[in-house]
Amino acid sequence: MGKTPKTPEQQKYEKLEKQYETKRPLLKNVIKAFFVGGAICLVGQAVSYYYIYFFNFTEQTAGNPTVATMVFFSMLLTGFGIYDHLGQFGGAGSAVPVTGFGNAVISAAIEHKTEGYVLGVGGNIFKLAGSVIVFGVFAAFVVALIKTLLIQWGVI
Amino acid sequence: MKNCLFAGLISCILIAGCSNKEDGKDSKTALLKTTDPAPVELVDHPETDSFGHAIKKELAKKKELYDVAVIQSKEETLVVYKVKHLQRFKMKKIEKDMEKYLEGKYPGEDFILSSDYKIFLETVRLKEKIQHKSISKKEAEKEFKDIIELQKEKT
Repeated sequence: MGKTPKTPEQQKYEKLEKQYETKRPLLKNVIKAFFVGGAICLVGQAVSYYYIYFFNFTEQTAGNPTVATMVFFSMLLTGFGIYDHLGQFGGAGSAVPVTGFGNAVISAAIEHKTEGYVLGVGGNIFKLAGSVIVFGVFAAFVVALIKTLLIQWGVI
Repeated sequence: MKNCLFAGLISCILIAGCSNKEDGKDSKTALLKTTDPAPVELVDHPETDSFGHAIKKELAKKKELYDVAVIQSKEETLVVYKVKHLQRFKMKKIEKDMEKYLEGKYPGEDFILSSDYKIFLETVRLKEKIQHKSISKKEAEKEFKDIIELQKEKT
């Protein structure tokens, strides 16, 4: 289906729309997201150092407990209603780190709690985060497959 | 506001459980800044067999590194180093270069290289324990083995 040229009515409507559309402060939003995301990652780094210093985790192995802890933190913050404000302020800066995953899980669970624990919470808890898991696992599978093949062929 | 306080309280409780660890002055800051620990030599005849000091001196000249710790035991030598932040992109290459250099200079010796902060921290802790004579030589060797085990762990 090719693109049909816009009719005069459509062009007129576009003009009208532009008049009423609020302009988004793109640069401001980007800067906010940068700092909020950076702050979350700073906390993550601190948690990682905490695991290295007090427990028997190396830099390599500290990643897994750190991710789990950060998700746990964001779940608590979502439950107390703090993460919503953070997301409102920071936008992508609060959604892109792994804390955004925890927020997506718990907010869906809270939203559907009234529908019951099995069909409500159980059925909807991964409504948003499910795609993250599916594509994460699939992407990891593909990358591992490519790496295994490359090693088998002796490229790397 | 109340929720904020509650969240703060919970995080305080979570963190508070871990403040009674006995550590020396150096190992407290080993993760954060340059420690420059003296090499440890767990060999039988330190006068003839040791080359820990020589290695440390040589490697400290490298531009990419800013901290080197060496533990030499009878069978293997553990070399831990910290890589400058922007050089960390080339971590693999640096390790390969160092391995080649050490193997060339000391053939027949077994080297274990690591750039891990945790291994560095444990090395500093072991060095402090040996310095304060709080562990025997046998215990020190066992702890050294434990560090090697930790270094080999991947998951």
